[in-house]
Amino acid sequence: MERIAAWLHEKNPGLDGPIDTDEDLIEARLIDSMDFLEFIDLLEELSGTSIDLQEVTIDDFRTLGRVQERFLSTAG
Amino acid sequence: MSTPSTTALPDGGLRSPGAGLITLDPVHTALLRGLDDLLTGLAARLSAPEVLGPPLLSVEGLARLDFFRNFPHLGVSAGRFDADALDGLAAGETPGELGLRPTGHLLPSATCYGLLLSLEGRDVGEDGLRLSATGRCFRNETHYDGLRRLWGFHMREVLYLGTKQGAVEHLEQGAEFIRQAAASLGLELSRAVADDPFYDKGGSRAKLMALDPVKHEFSAPDGTAIASVNRHRNFFGERLDIRAGSEGPAYSACVAFGVERWVHAMILTHGSPEQALDRLREARLRGVDG
Repeated sequence: MERIAAWLHEKNPGLDGPIDTDEDLIEARLIDSMDFLEFIDLLEELSGTSIDLQEVTIDDFRTLGRVQERFLSTAG
Repeated sequence: MSTPSTTALPDGGLRSPGAGLITLDPVHTALLRGLDDLLTGLAARLSAPEVLGPPLLSVEGLARLDFFRNFPHLGVSAGRFDADALDGLAAGETPGELGLRPTGHLLPSATCYGLLLSLEGRDVGEDGLRLSATGRCFRNETHYDGLRRLWGFHMREVLYLGTKQGAVEHLEQGAEFIRQAAASLGLELSRAVADDPFYDKGGSRAKLMALDPVKHEFSAPDGTAIASVNRHRNFFGERLDIRAGSEGPAYSACVAFGVERWVHAMILTHGSPEQALDRLREARLRGVDG
């Protein structure tokens, strides 16, 4: 998750402190729409799997907690 | 002295000046004005004061709103003739063969841009701000189609800036008004998720919009979208440093009406411009709430 937090801080230089795991990244535009595909690329790199946008919902990307659970959980 | 009677139009009516351009005759004009008045009811309901946006928008301002990244194909530019062309023009040369110089301004493609740019650096407070305006908007299109798709048209918008929750409520109230206005006019509308006409349809913004639609349209039975509800998250608030008190960058949302398209939908539904006007007059007597 450190890489994701670092990416979010890089994209949002005005952001102070850690990002809550339930902060709405989409609605607050911490992931700007122009950077959304770059964020997907980062998740694919970190998870080692490709993400089919036909098979996800926006809620899968909405919070750090959900991103961890959906894409970066090592369970299974 | 007798009172002059209404002047009749000549046989054949009013000519179109070109593709995508229409001179509205008196009945169509009465429909457009009357419909715009009726749609202003949303502004009255939400206590949104009426303003008049600027007739041109600066390229620099539009660039900050990502207009050119999103819609480079739509922009209709305001140009002026080169100074060294003026003598030739005055001597009767054909304007089409002479060079135009950019002025750094575009005609508006949407009513809200001019209003948003006018609020740069302002604080709208936590109670937020609503503004209502009708503007003539211009978009280059690949084809034109009667009142459905014009090079220039009237767009009424009721814009909100304020909190995240305020933006949600604005669009709920807007959608409810659209349903009531349509019902009062006998129009059957369907609501659906919509795309903005992004130039790069495979780009990041379009992909995110597919997952999280920020625009819904209300369409007549022939598929013509006549109204929309749009949320911008805090994009304009951030780009233009518009704040909502302690909430930080303002969230914004707008309810938009394509007024010529309401005219089109009325004629489609009621059979003729005259019948549409009769129905509009009845609706205005009853009121949208009636």
